[in-house]
Formats: sequence, C-alpha cells, structure tokens
Amino acid sequence: MTAYRELAKALDEVAASRGKLAKIERLARTLGTVEEVELPAAARLLSGSPFAEHEALVTSVGYATVLRAAAAVTGWDEDTVGACARAIGDLGEAIGLLRSPSGADGMTIAEADGFFRDLSGRRKPAEKRALLEATLRRCGALETKYLLKTLSGGLRIGADATTVEEAIAQAFGRDREAVARARRDSGDIGETAAAARADRLGEIRFRLFHPIGFMLASPIESAGDVEEELEGLAVEDKFDGIRAHLHQDGERVALFSRTLDEVTAQFPEIAAERRGAPGTFLLDGEIVAWGEDRPASFFRLQRRLGRKAPEDSLIAEIPTTFIAYDCLARDDRPLFERHWEERRAHLEDIAGSHGIRLSEVFRAESSDALKALFTDARARGNEGLVLKRRDSPYQAGKRGRGWRKWKKALATIDVVVTAVEQGHGKRAGMLSDYTFAVREDDRFVNIGKAYSGLSDEEIRSLGAKFRKTTLARFGPVRTVEPEVVLEVSFDSLQKSARHKSGFALRFPRIVRLRPDKAPADVTTLQEIRDLYARLSTL
Amino acid sequence: MASLSSLLESPSEGLYSPAFEAYVDPSTPVARAILTHAHADHAVAGHGEVWATPETAAIYRRRHPGWAGACETIAYGEPRERGRTVLRLVPAGHVLGSAQVLLTGPGESLLYTGDFKRSAGRTTVPAQAPHADTLVMETTFGLPVFRFPPRDELEARIREACRDAIASGETPVLLAYSFGKAQEAAAVLADAGVPTVLHGAAWKLLPDFADAGFPLPLSRAYDTGPAAPGEALITPPSTARSPMVRSIRRKRVIYLSGWAIREASRIEFDADVLIPFSDHADFPGLRQHVAEVAPRRVVTLHGFASDFARILSAKGVPAETLAGREERPPEQA
Repeated sequence: MTAYRELAKALDEVAASRGKLAKIERLARTLGTVEEVELPAAARLLSGSPFAEHEALVTSVGYATVLRAAAAVTGWDEDTVGACARAIGDLGEAIGLLRSPSGADGMTIAEADGFFRDLSGRRKPAEKRALLEATLRRCGALETKYLLKTLSGGLRIGADATTVEEAIAQAFGRDREAVARARRDSGDIGETAAAARADRLGEIRFRLFHPIGFMLASPIESAGDVEEELEGLAVEDKFDGIRAHLHQDGERVALFSRTLDEVTAQFPEIAAERRGAPGTFLLDGEIVAWGEDRPASFFRLQRRLGRKAPEDSLIAEIPTTFIAYDCLARDDRPLFERHWEERRAHLEDIAGSHGIRLSEVFRAESSDALKALFTDARARGNEGLVLKRRDSPYQAGKRGRGWRKWKKALATIDVVVTAVEQGHGKRAGMLSDYTFAVREDDRFVNIGKAYSGLSDEEIRSLGAKFRKTTLARFGPVRTVEPEVVLEVSFDSLQKSARHKSGFALRFPRIVRLRPDKAPADVTTLQEIRDLYARLSTL
Repeated sequence: MASLSSLLESPSEGLYSPAFEAYVDPSTPVARAILTHAHADHAVAGHGEVWATPETAAIYRRRHPGWAGACETIAYGEPRERGRTVLRLVPAGHVLGSAQVLLTGPGESLLYTGDFKRSAGRTTVPAQAPHADTLVMETTFGLPVFRFPPRDELEARIREACRDAIASGETPVLLAYSFGKAQEAAAVLADAGVPTVLHGAAWKLLPDFADAGFPLPLSRAYDTGPAAPGEALITPPSTARSPMVRSIRRKRVIYLSGWAIREASRIEFDADVLIPFSDHADFPGLRQHVAEVAPRRVVTLHGFASDFARILSAKGVPAETLAGREERPPEQA
C-alpha cells in the first residue's frame, strides 16, 4: 500500500515544477508506481477531487468547521488560525505551515479516500469536525496541506483534470484523446486511469448525470469574418441567459451550469416540466427568463440567480424556460463526435415528441443576409448570433473555431476582481472600487479599475464576500481571491504600462455580475490583444 | 496623543523623544530625526538633522545626494545624554548599520526595535536584547505560519538554486530588495564563486558596504552589460516584470523574501524558486526577543501587529498595538 504522503509530495513537486510537461511527467511517475487497487483513488486525489463526478458526492465542510478542527490540532486559537489563513492566502497551506513536518503515521491512499467518503456521509457539523480532527492528528505538514486543499476544492498547483488525463496517457502509453473521451463519458478520472492501465479505455460506456464541459464559441467582429464559410454555417440567435446542460432519464432530471455546478433546484419549474416525460438524453441549451412569447432580458433572469430555492411567487413573476440547441447524448449513446447536422436531427426528433423548446436555425447566403439576421436577433432582444459549422463535432470544454459568436460591435469583456478598496463620498466605508483582471494561462493580469456600477445592495453583499476572501491588506487596498466575475464595458482599449496586462480600458463601467461564469471563463489576454489589433486597424 | 511612556511619545507624525526633541523614523521631514536604518520607509528625505549609526548615515547620504542636513553619528553602545535620559543604539541585525533605540530614564527604560533580525547575516551584527520595561517592536511576521529555516540552510538553498540554473544554461535572477537583501545575496553567492550583476539601486551602495568591511569584489553593475553565462542577476522584486527581466530568455527567477513562504508569491512575481530569506525576525524570533528583553509590557507595530499583541496577551505578556500604523506591502520584507 502507498502512503498518502507520496501523493501529497507529488502534488507539492507539481506545484513547484515549471511548465506543463514537467507537471505531467511528475504526475505520471506517481500514477505509474501506485498499486492497481489504489490507482482510481490516486488519480482522483491528484486531480483535486476525492469523488468521481458522476457520484455527485460533496464533503460540504464549512470554513468554521475546518478552523475549529485546525485550532484543536495545532494548539493555536481560531482567531490566529484564521489570521494565518488570510496572511498566506490559502487555508490548507497555512494550516500545513502550523504543523510539524513529521508526525504522520503513514495514512494510506485508501484511508485518505475512505476519509473523504466518510466525511460526505456525515451530516452534523460536529460529526464532520470530529472526523476531520482525528484525521488531521494523523497528518504531517504536507498531508495536512493537501488534505485541506482537496477539501476546499482547489489544489492550485497549475494542474487540472486535463493535466492528469495527459499524465494517465503518458504513464500507461495510451492515446491522449482516448483518455479524455473515457473521462468525459465515465465522469470518473479514477475509472479512466484503471481502464488505461488495463488497456480497456474502449470499454468505458457513456454515463449521464455528471457535469460535462461546454463547447464555447470564438468571437467574430463582423459578418466579413465568416464570409468564406457561410455556406457551411448554421445560424442561431445568441440568447442572453445562462448556458446549461440538461440531463434527463425519465423521472430524473438535472441541470448543470457552465461552472459545472448542479443548478436544478434553482429552476424547479424547468425540472418539473420535464420530469416524467420518457426518454434518456443530454441537451445543451440556455436557461432564459420567459416573456410573452420570447426570452426576456438578462436583467430579469438576474433576479432568479444565486437563490438556491426560489419562492413560488418569484417563479410566478419571473418564469424561466430551457431553450435547447444541441443534443450530446441519446439513449446512453454519446453523440459528441457526430457532426452538428446529425446532432440537430436527433434534437429535433426528441423535441418533437417531448415538447421541448428549440432554438430556430437560419441560413445566411451572403454577408448582407447575415447582417440582416444579426439585426433581427438584436431586435428580438437577443445578444447577437451564434454560427455553427454544420460538420463540426462537439468539443466539450473547448473554445474552437467550429462555433463563432457575433455580439455587439465593441463587445463587453468578462473580468475577475483581484483587489478592492473603499469608495468615497456616498460610498465611503463600502468596498466599491474594484481592480479587475483578464486571464493569461493560469494566472490573472490586471487590466483596469472601476468604481462600481452595481446597486448598493449588490456592493454590500459582495463586500461581505470580499472580506472573507481577502488575501492581504495594504492600507486601504485588499487583494482578494479571484472569484467574482463581472461583465465590463468600455469606450476604447489602450496600451498602458499601468497594469500588468499591458493594456488599459478607457472609461470602464461594470455592466453586471456574472455569477454564471467561473474565473477560468473570463476574457483572455490573447483575446484582448486580438481585440486591440482589430480596433487599431478600423 | 497616546503617550507610550515618558521616554517615547506617539503623536501622529511618528514616535517622539521629548528628552532629545527628536522623532524616531518619522514618515515626514522633521528638524531632528533618529533613524534606525536607511530603508526608504524608515528614512524619508529632507530631515534637518539625522542621528544614526555611521553606516546608516552614509547610506542615507548616498540615497539622498542633494541632502544638506547635519549628521550626528553614534556608534553601537555609545551613550548620549540629555538631562536624565540616556540614548543608546543597539545592533538590530536587520541591514547594514541597523539599530534598535534604547532609552533609559530615571526608573524606566524603553527599547524600540525598528526592524530587526536575531540571526547573523553576512553584513549585519545579530540583534542584541537588552532588558527594557517597555518593548516597542516591529511585528512584520507576527503570525506562527512565519517560521523560517536556519540561515545556513537558506544560504545553501540560494547557492544550490543558482548552481542548478547555471548548470542548465539559465540565468539565475534573484529578486531581492536593493539595500540589504541584495548585498547579502551577493555575499552568499561570492562564497560559491558565483559572480553577480547588480541592479543600479543596489550597486550604488557597494562603496558603503566596502567601507564597513564588506567588499563584494565579485559583483558588477548591470549598466556594464546584462548577465553573461555563469553570472547571476540581483534585482528588486518590483522589477520582476520589467523589460530588463523579461528580455532574459532562459532564466530561473528566485524570490528572496519572508513572504516567499506563501506559494501565492510564485504567481505574484513569476518566480520559479521561493526561498524565505528574510531580513526580519520570524515568529519564533519575535517571541524569543520578547522573552530576552523581558519587558513589563509590549507595544507592537507593522505587519500583524494586532494578531501578535493578542497572542502575547494570551500568553500572559501585556501587549497592545500602536494604532494608526500602516501595514507595509510585501516588497520590503
């Protein structure tokens, strides 16, 4: 049996190693050395999640519970442990630093796996705490660090499940694509690793009810950008809602958002409408607030967001619906590799017999026709157009050129808040000034600062969050965990040495919160460079 | 105006000694300033008169070339008297010339640490811990997560990281604050025969280090050309994303700071290697200093001042923060 310490050591070395290749190689080394029975748990723990995605298990241990357990184990009071976590910027890292390096009793990978499962089975915080405390007592500094990082849901070592997929391929000499497909279909990187080792990747069957990555569209700025390809493109309105995957197997219905969180309970009317209808399928589409006969604005939908279980009165006031535009699986058969055309045929077939609302598909013979469709879409209150190559497969979790999106002339960008400070005047005492960043690989680079355009209520509730996620304080400025995603509009884009991104926005304004987007989804620095290049040639 | 004691008061401009009619490390220009050391956040330009160790005075002059004020240099341990109050500067171990201020009056004594470090450096004398009734201390690293490995282990890690980088054809780029840390790093590397190229701000202070008995013959200025194979570049953390650093194609960035204990600094400074090589006392060092000075009460400032005061109080040592002091950004630790 292998000690959990070996996994913790591997993760620590992955964090310190430079470049994807070195990280993959380090992970592969560990995957190749653990015993066969330990491999599924090891692969899951190395990818940062103790459970398979399809298991739908959560440890749900609150910050306060971890703090109390850590206080008991380290001998420091909770205030001090909490201050340490804020100073270091990571709870697991901080508590690891408070432990002595030795002192581990050789907890095995299987025991660590058992700990997370046991934890998810316990309901009362006191029971969870007792288990966590007893387990932490068996841990040295390194095990403590990674056990708690896993618990908080983010290893932050510059490697994700995709990196582990590549490590599995390398460790057992298998095809990367085959490994990725097996994980997508099984919803379990552990099962995938075991199958790769036994050379049985081909035997993995598709399973519903686990989150699947979304295929994303690359932006275009004008009809001219796709002039050559028009013939092969299907054109749909770009709805201003929340992207979602709908899984259905008769009575069982689940909605997953782009952050791969299950949001079924937030939209009970959608699940209720579907439930009981026969059929087994996975659809891609958009949750929108429904007006008279068409989607209502995002501002209405926004009032439904962030509520775990909305009251009936709110549902009656702002009903939502699901508009389907793709079919990714039917009767346990994955359709990801099939062309859009074929998937659309399946979708229309299912929708016809199940009363599912569908997006309308248009064709544009010319740039002018496309421009007319764009104008129509905007007139219907939609954001713009999505253009899909009829012969494109569904690339889960990827932004490819198979799908393009055409929004307003100068698109807004999505950014993540990295620092906050108190406002002045009317908003003195409120954390209302935000510094925000775009993404460059796995880090964020600041691009601007704006005085909030949000409501006082939104600023206050975000302020409470920022106080909890503060990494460090420098006088009036707090750096915060990059978690809150905003949509920002601006007048123009300039090169600037003021921000790390090398760009600055002119007159940035916060348009709205984007709780439906994860920090990994924000605009990338490359997209900003492209936008700058296009704007400067106008 | 909170009065720390009759020996040292704390008006909003900084700490003030009524007996010597002098401010200690004031943040704005004053008629007479007692400076504990010559870091920019403790030694602003434009004082009328500066009282400091000869090393601190020399570096203050070097960093403020147009300054025309008077210097009163005081060697470590040498007493100065005003009425019944005696002032002594005590080694602080933070950077070259750094001192703690010991004030002794009738029936009362006070030690102000400035910034300090208890372990010996290449260019510093370890901090001493004379007894005082009141201890006014910095608490930059006043939380128990800040526990640094022994100095010789850290020095070995610096040499090893640089040797590794050079062996794989990369330029070691050490991110180190330009006064103190940069010269310490250069001295550590000189031991291993690694020549260093210094950023201008660090280079210009080398004559003062040489005068104090710490010549660095293996170092040269960046002005004379970028680092050649086999040389290491030493430059301040604020230049981590400068064209100078970016233009080095194959490099290994080594961040030297107490803050390097946080893995987040890997991303903040694009660093490949994190070494918690600090010129401040770590948490056990702060506790040890309190134990040896054995004060009746402690007043904390800088960094995790309120946390450290709470921890001390819980251990039975009366402690409070000096309110209104700004926390410092990590570049200077």
